Amino acid sequence: MDFLLLLVSTGLVTGAAYGLIAMGFALVYKATGVVNFAQGELMMLTAYVSFSVADRTGLSFLMLMALTIPISMAIGLLLERIFIRPMLGEPVFSIVMVTIGLAVILRGLVILVWGPDPAVFDVGLPDTVIRLGPVPFYPAQLVLVAAMAGVTTIAWIFLRFSRIGIAMRAVAANETAARLSGISVSRIHAFAWMFSSAIASIAGVLFAANFKLAPDMWFQGMKSFPAVILGGLDSVIGASVAGLVIGVVENLFQGYVGQGMREISGFIVIVVVLMVRPYGLFGSREIERV
Amino acid sequence: MKSLIVIGFALMTATSALAADPGVTDTEIKIGDVNIMTGPASFIGRAVSVGSKIAAAEINATGGVNGRKITIVTEDDGYVPARSFQALTKLLQVDGIFALNGTSGTANVLAMMPLITEANLPTVVTTAPNELVYEPVRPSVFTIGASYANAFYAQLKYIHDKAKPANAVYGLIRQDDDFGVAVEHGYDRAVKEFGVKDAIRLRFKKGTSNFAAEVAQMKQAGVGVLANGGIIAGAANILAEARKNGMDLQIASVWSEDMPPSVNLSAPAGYDYLVGDYVALQGRAIDRFMEKAKKYASAEEIGAINRYTYITYVGVKVLAKAMGDCGKDLTRACTIAKLKALKGYDTDGLTAPISFDNAKQLAGTAVAVYRLDAKSKTFTPLTDFVDY
Repeated sequence: MDFLLLLVSTGLVTGAAYGLIAMGFALVYKATGVVNFAQGELMMLTAYVSFSVADRTGLSFLMLMALTIPISMAIGLLLERIFIRPMLGEPVFSIVMVTIGLAVILRGLVILVWGPDPAVFDVGLPDTVIRLGPVPFYPAQLVLVAAMAGVTTIAWIFLRFSRIGIAMRAVAANETAARLSGISVSRIHAFAWMFSSAIASIAGVLFAANFKLAPDMWFQGMKSFPAVILGGLDSVIGASVAGLVIGVVENLFQGYVGQGMREISGFIVIVVVLMVRPYGLFGSREIERV
Repeated sequence: MKSLIVIGFALMTATSALAADPGVTDTEIKIGDVNIMTGPASFIGRAVSVGSKIAAAEINATGGVNGRKITIVTEDDGYVPARSFQALTKLLQVDGIFALNGTSGTANVLAMMPLITEANLPTVVTTAPNELVYEPVRPSVFTIGASYANAFYAQLKYIHDKAKPANAVYGLIRQDDDFGVAVEHGYDRAVKEFGVKDAIRLRFKKGTSNFAAEVAQMKQAGVGVLANGGIIAGAANILAEARKNGMDLQIASVWSEDMPPSVNLSAPAGYDYLVGDYVALQGRAIDRFMEKAKKYASAEEIGAINRYTYITYVGVKVLAKAMGDCGKDLTRACTIAKLKALKGYDTDGLTAPISFDNAKQLAGTAVAVYRLDAKSKTFTPLTDFVDY
């Protein structure tokens, strides 16, 4: 029983990281119709920026995040202005290719600025082990799960009740109609990039706090992609739930079936779910997959 | 008639020049270095580059090799085998190197091997002492270093013979590639020879960050002695997860875990793990080396020094010794013959003495075992260099 609990609990931790990264993917897709293949790199870049801030200021965790999130939103806005805004009206495929190019640029930039060595990212959280019943956790693991729950709740409220959130949904549903009703589509795109950068920074900082800061962190973006597909490409909330599912399934497969099953288990789940629900667990039927 | 003699002499001289091997003039010898200068593994390349630089500077400061100065020509391969091939092609065709010292990783050396063989290029491999490099033997290729199998066997033998763990249940976690297979060979030899309980063997994909399930499996299996085949962040994440689960472990590690970046990542878990290495990690040999480093390298370069620096330094010194033994008539064939005849070359304690006079042209295979003090982040030698 303890073994099962260990697998599930640590699966939730990994799944929370997947879920947060996946939410960033889904948010940009929902508002712009484009899969941002640089989401993993954005997560890595914002984590490194936060690392530099922490290194210079020694801020507590909450203060660090309070500073990191707006900086990350500014980075998201800047990237959107430089790389995506000029592509407005161009074929989706071209914009996707731009995000792939951006991903490669960001990977190079991180190594250029911060170097190739991995590092311990002290985010200001204690490293004493906390036991919840028979299950041990590091504080950073619990914060990661809590952050995912918090961000998911805020995202749901934001998309459902805020003016910008409703405008985002309108743009996603019918861009032309949204434009005719006075919504600035370019502004909505910019907001989507800003918010997805903010989520990426939370994911990046907490992933690095749990699994070290390294210039190959971008790969977590690829590992989170099954969660985006499983949740439904345009479902921000679905992405977070699917992240947890993938994280737990991976751990259970590895724990009970063993030897390399972790890597394929997420894809097995995707294949099975997509055969029943081709648009994902929470996605819209009319998604055009890129 | 006079002009005929002059023309004849000129032709003879030209023929002689054409017969000489590339990369050698009266004043210079060019040694190539294909290296990981970019990407996440570039801390290895930087260290290798510093080792070559210090060796060349030291040799040149004492008159060079029979009056010829050594020039190191470095090409980046980014740890990509296809780029290693391109890099060596450039070094051979554009720069005209005489010999090769830096050879990147195992797959990279293998990618370059057709070029090395075709050019009969004297090559000393110091950073990838893999069986695939020295078996089958290529006449111009000489390898320095122990196998991962022996490095793990040495550590597990020390744990079994000297540390005598209360919980002698052994477990292995390793990458699912050639490197991981070599680690498992050492583990396999140890558990069979010691007759201990072999509780679990786990494989993982390179680049894995989350080892929660694997560590839970090891805890479930009751592992007390762990052969940790993870490297750098991977090894550190395994140890962090083990600490969280309150596992009391004696740990054998890959030699990459004795480098400062790895120690900084792993030490917070608090395990005083072992490493087995064919390179000295501390002591008078390293003190003497650092004196040379201060003389010939910048502060930034000194900051990049790790085990790969020491072993690359040894590689250039060995090449220089062989080239020096050839006298003024330096050729690749002579250098290869002198390398092949090299016996008991003293590396000033950085490795065991180098002898290539064996069927595999393999030297420096003796392993020393060290223990990390996680608090001070320093290593203490537990054994001398021993062949296993």
